[in-house]
Amino acid sequence: MADSASSRMTDTDVDEEFVHDIAATLSSAAMAAIGPEIPDLFSYAPPVIDSLETETSYKQNEVVQDCLEYLTAKDKDLVYNLRGVGLLERDAHKAFLHKGLGRYPDRFVPADASRPWYLYWCLSALTLLGEDVSSYREKLVATAVSMQNDYGGFGGGCGQTSHLATTYAVVLALALVGGEEAYEVIDRRAMWRWLCSLKQPDGGFQVAVGGEEDIRGAYCAAVIITLLNLPLNLTPESPAWTGDESKTLFTGVADYVKRCQTFEGGISEKPDTEAHGAYAFCALGCLSILDAPDRIIPKYLDLPRFVSWLSSRQYAPEGGFSGRTNKLVDGCYSHWVGGCWPLIEASLNGPRKEGDVPKSTLPPASSSLFSREGLIRYILCCCQDMPRRGGLRDKPGKSSDPYHSCYVLSGLSSAQHQWRWAPLLRDGTDGWIVSPYSDEVQIFEEEDRVVPIHPVYAIPQKNVDGIRRYFSAKEGF
Amino acid sequence: MPPKGKAAAKPKEAATTTSKPTTAPPPPPSPSTVNDRTQQRTQATNPHAATLALTSGLSTLSPADKTLWINSRFARSPALRAKLGTKAQRDLWRHVNEANLPVRSLKPLPPKTPTSIWGIDKTGRDIGTYPIPQFDDFTAKRARLTALIAASHSFASHRRRATLKIPDPLTNEPVLLLEADISAERRRRTEMASLRADLYGTRSSNSKSYASDPEWDDVTPTLLEEPEGATLAAIAYPDDYAEAISYLRAVMVRKEYSPRCLRLTEHVIQLNPAHYTVWLYRASILFALGVKVPEEIQWLNGVALANLKNYQIWHHRHLLVDQYYPVLEGDEKARDDFARGEAEFMTRMLEEDAKNYHVWSYRSYLVRKLGLWKAGGERERRLVEEMVEEDVRNNSAWSHRFFVVFSDPEQSTEGVGATEFDPRVPGEIVDRELGYALGKIGLAPQNQSPWNYLRGALVKGGRKLGSVRGSVEEYVTGLGTEEEEVRSTHALDLLAEIYAEQGETEKADLCLRRLAEKWDPIRAGYWGWRRAMLEQKKDS
Repeated sequence: MADSASSRMTDTDVDEEFVHDIAATLSSAAMAAIGPEIPDLFSYAPPVIDSLETETSYKQNEVVQDCLEYLTAKDKDLVYNLRGVGLLERDAHKAFLHKGLGRYPDRFVPADASRPWYLYWCLSALTLLGEDVSSYREKLVATAVSMQNDYGGFGGGCGQTSHLATTYAVVLALALVGGEEAYEVIDRRAMWRWLCSLKQPDGGFQVAVGGEEDIRGAYCAAVIITLLNLPLNLTPESPAWTGDESKTLFTGVADYVKRCQTFEGGISEKPDTEAHGAYAFCALGCLSILDAPDRIIPKYLDLPRFVSWLSSRQYAPEGGFSGRTNKLVDGCYSHWVGGCWPLIEASLNGPRKEGDVPKSTLPPASSSLFSREGLIRYILCCCQDMPRRGGLRDKPGKSSDPYHSCYVLSGLSSAQHQWRWAPLLRDGTDGWIVSPYSDEVQIFEEEDRVVPIHPVYAIPQKNVDGIRRYFSAKEGF
Repeated sequence: MPPKGKAAAKPKEAATTTSKPTTAPPPPPSPSTVNDRTQQRTQATNPHAATLALTSGLSTLSPADKTLWINSRFARSPALRAKLGTKAQRDLWRHVNEANLPVRSLKPLPPKTPTSIWGIDKTGRDIGTYPIPQFDDFTAKRARLTALIAASHSFASHRRRATLKIPDPLTNEPVLLLEADISAERRRRTEMASLRADLYGTRSSNSKSYASDPEWDDVTPTLLEEPEGATLAAIAYPDDYAEAISYLRAVMVRKEYSPRCLRLTEHVIQLNPAHYTVWLYRASILFALGVKVPEEIQWLNGVALANLKNYQIWHHRHLLVDQYYPVLEGDEKARDDFARGEAEFMTRMLEEDAKNYHVWSYRSYLVRKLGLWKAGGERERRLVEEMVEEDVRNNSAWSHRFFVVFSDPEQSTEGVGATEFDPRVPGEIVDRELGYALGKIGLAPQNQSPWNYLRGALVKGGRKLGSVRGSVEEYVTGLGTEEEEVRSTHALDLLAEIYAEQGETEKADLCLRRLAEKWDPIRAGYWGWRRAMLEQKKDS
């Protein structure tokens, strides 16, 4: 029986349904007898639990109970390997995501201002699953054109005001399909002027003219500026213009990020509010664009506090991450929190050049600072919306959607790989180098490995290189 | 002709034959519903119809009833009557008269589906089940709507003549469109819309149509012009939404800031509150028109409660406060009233979701903007304390408290980071906060919120972590022994730092090791790194 199940990983000619059945039988019958290898850490409630019940603890206990069902290989709709890890239902997820790029019925009107996000989420998740999405190029070009405004940037749709979040999503989507035709959609001159109009005197960016200023805006702007190789100087129309020509689009951004660190160590949406996982990634991503992570992150953040807070986001037995203290795990933080770890590790480890004195006064991360096993178990056991719908989700009991599919798979990618900030082979400058993570026993099946993505831009390195190379070869706009 | 049957004979026969429901029953009870009335009328005008429908034919009727039935048929049909001689016709009429037969009759109800003849209303209810007065009201409204539609058509052709300068066909005079005509039409359309909604429930198809509203005649809607193939993740718009945003695009392009645009934004927000563009546009209109901020806030409260997860609402509120600030700045009472109203509303919102990030984010903005650090008898700290009483694990409430206490410009230094020592924080405040956090830790020691707060307050106040050593050690006993008992992993975490601070590196290392091995192994990688930090510290 066990042999038949493992043959599924290698023998692709075997009838899918048939193997499915055998594997399912294995999970319910044979596994009950021999039992899959699941550590206690992921099989039982944590050792310290308070007796006082409040709304928070009530919800937390419920989620633990729900997750344990999936984590201990008891779910009938998943196929588990011998370590009790669910197999990645790649085809079901691909089908869900292709559908996600199709037409939506009228009850999706509330998503009308987020259409660019749907493009990015679906294309990114498909890419992570190994799909070639360049076949969407033509349609994406037409769709993106309809969202671009003459004054620069992209809105949520035709006639909608340009917004940094939707612009970020469109630019990344274009980078994912790649090709000159896609890159040339972007009016870079107008984009630069528009970005200048969003830049605020305190260093941050408004998300739209007259919109809110938050750290999301700063991260999106930094991504757009560097992917499109835009000039950094400010226009005199910019609210941040002082007449001092040395002030640029990046002036004060790092200080703005610094002001978003809270007493807990995490990062908030804007100064004065609660630390939140999504903004933690924006902060680190933004800083890592401005300078080498080992230089800039320790300079602007209280790193020991940040790491303490970040590490507290991982719960057992769930294995996944929460976004805030005392909140529930959610698959999307696999990216927002999970995606912080490569940047943290880079900032601690720095470039490993011969004779280099470590820039950080903190010890290097000699092994993984978070439980990759926990995260992988949570993703593959709890976040797959099976058997019918496909796609990935927040947690058991929720439905999949493109947003969670994208960020759960991004998180899976960072758990399966290891990024190093190191001297690049060819020109000697520092850059990101990726390799499969191999310091521990691999609990997932090799065929369930997803594509590695760039730790800052969250799309594959080759797509980052493609768009940057294209625009840096251009003279002027 | 056969002799007519006497009505008086009926009750007798009724008792013995199958022809139970026949002519001249005692006057029926007055009908309660439309269907009842129809039923009664049909029966009254179709003698024996019910019986005949149930049986195979005339043979089941008594001879008298048979005659009656035949006579009623002849009476109703001029074609049949024409076949009779004069005498027979006279006889017929005499019989008809004596039996009081109906000369006209309702078409018999179709068998089996007797209830659907009046149709169904907007709620799916059979109109036939309406009580008579309600039905009369319904009919009157329908008549009124028909009259209004006719008048509206006439206005439309009048307006067309006026615009195209076509003279009146009867008088050959030029047609003028008077303001009075337009306002009459506007009233008419309002009434039509409400009648339509009332009768048919078609709120969106006609009643809110901009194309048929003369107020919008000067606007050419910008229809969605999506290039061919721009179909990725496209949403099939309902007609009302598609129309509303086509007008929105048009007025936004011409930068119109008018009351009608304000109403349009309200309509679009109602259809899609996540449409950030319409919110930004709405704010511009409000400020251009000088609309009163409290009124807008009142309206906004309703929208916020109906859309708990929406965040555009909170930025809009933020913009409103910025706009209103000059009024509040110089008027302490107005500011206090406003702050109290906002606090009440946020309390209401937080009852729905105590950790709503956007509400808390707006709240901290408001405190800083209006300087509410200690306002209203330390209202902020009190309200947040109430929320912590409710759920001691509400980290949003803890975070807000930290902000209110440690960012108050009267007792803090601008520019000092949140995780840094601030010499301006008074010692008694630090003591109070440490006491508060330790008290709450006692309720549920594994709750991380007050631990983070405690550590944060210690650092802010420049205190040694070791100053709380005794309180923290209460939660850990017999460390490293057989009797090891840990009531809080966060205590163990803090103890590791306290011991390190006091040079007891071995003990600190033991804390971290036990966390990794037993008490919090999911974070083993992190605890390992912390051990490396200890090692490094020891070496240096």
